[in-house]
Amino acid sequence: MDGIKVLLFGAAADRAGTRETQVEAGRITLDELWPLLLEHHPGLSPMRDTLAIAVNGEYARWDTPVSPGDEVAVLPPVSGG
Amino acid sequence: MFAIVEGRIDVASLISGAQRPDCGAISTFVGTTRVDETGGASVEHLEYEAYRPMADRKLEEIGAEIRMRWDVREVSIVHRIGRVDPGEASVVIVVAAPRRGAAFEASRYAIERIKQVVPIWKREVWSDGYVWVGSQVGTRS
Repeated sequence: MDGIKVLLFGAAADRAGTRETQVEAGRITLDELWPLLLEHHPGLSPMRDTLAIAVNGEYARWDTPVSPGDEVAVLPPVSGG
Repeated sequence: MFAIVEGRIDVASLISGAQRPDCGAISTFVGTTRVDETGGASVEHLEYEAYRPMADRKLEEIGAEIRMRWDVREVSIVHRIGRVDPGEASVVIVVAAPRRGAAFEASRYAIERIKQVVPIWKREVWSDGYVWVGSQVGTRS
């Protein structure tokens, strides 16, 4: 079964040591997903309060539920321009 | 036109593409890469990355927000990603409107919104490492 796909960008990719990973879980909220992500990528821990998060390409709140097959993106403070 | 591109942005063609007989103003904002220096080290270039296609969609949303707020007839936003050398254009915004006030205000609005909501990140590549702007995470000692 597919897991929840997690993409990481910018400083978050550096901290995690990867740009893409999978979290094996059923339907959970992003708040519940976060500690599962930290199990394999503990370097992300100090970034939590600075991050925005997106589900399937749109900004989401941390209490949003996600399911296997969804794409979650971990977004550090944007710095375009 | 809303686009994320690799390579140089053709500012002149964006401006000429916005010329219309029903508009009295074209406002153009060009964001360029600035080089800072500290302690003998300097920024050699900047490197941009985007979360696509979300970033493309957010540019289009900014265009739609502008059309709701002001009477504008053309809006183009082009953001460059990848390596951008010092002084080069990283983002270009072109707004054509019947009246100059709307064109000025809308182009200002566009760059401020880009810096708030478009998932694009830049890192400064220094002679002694790099740092992600806004996150202060990197390899500089």
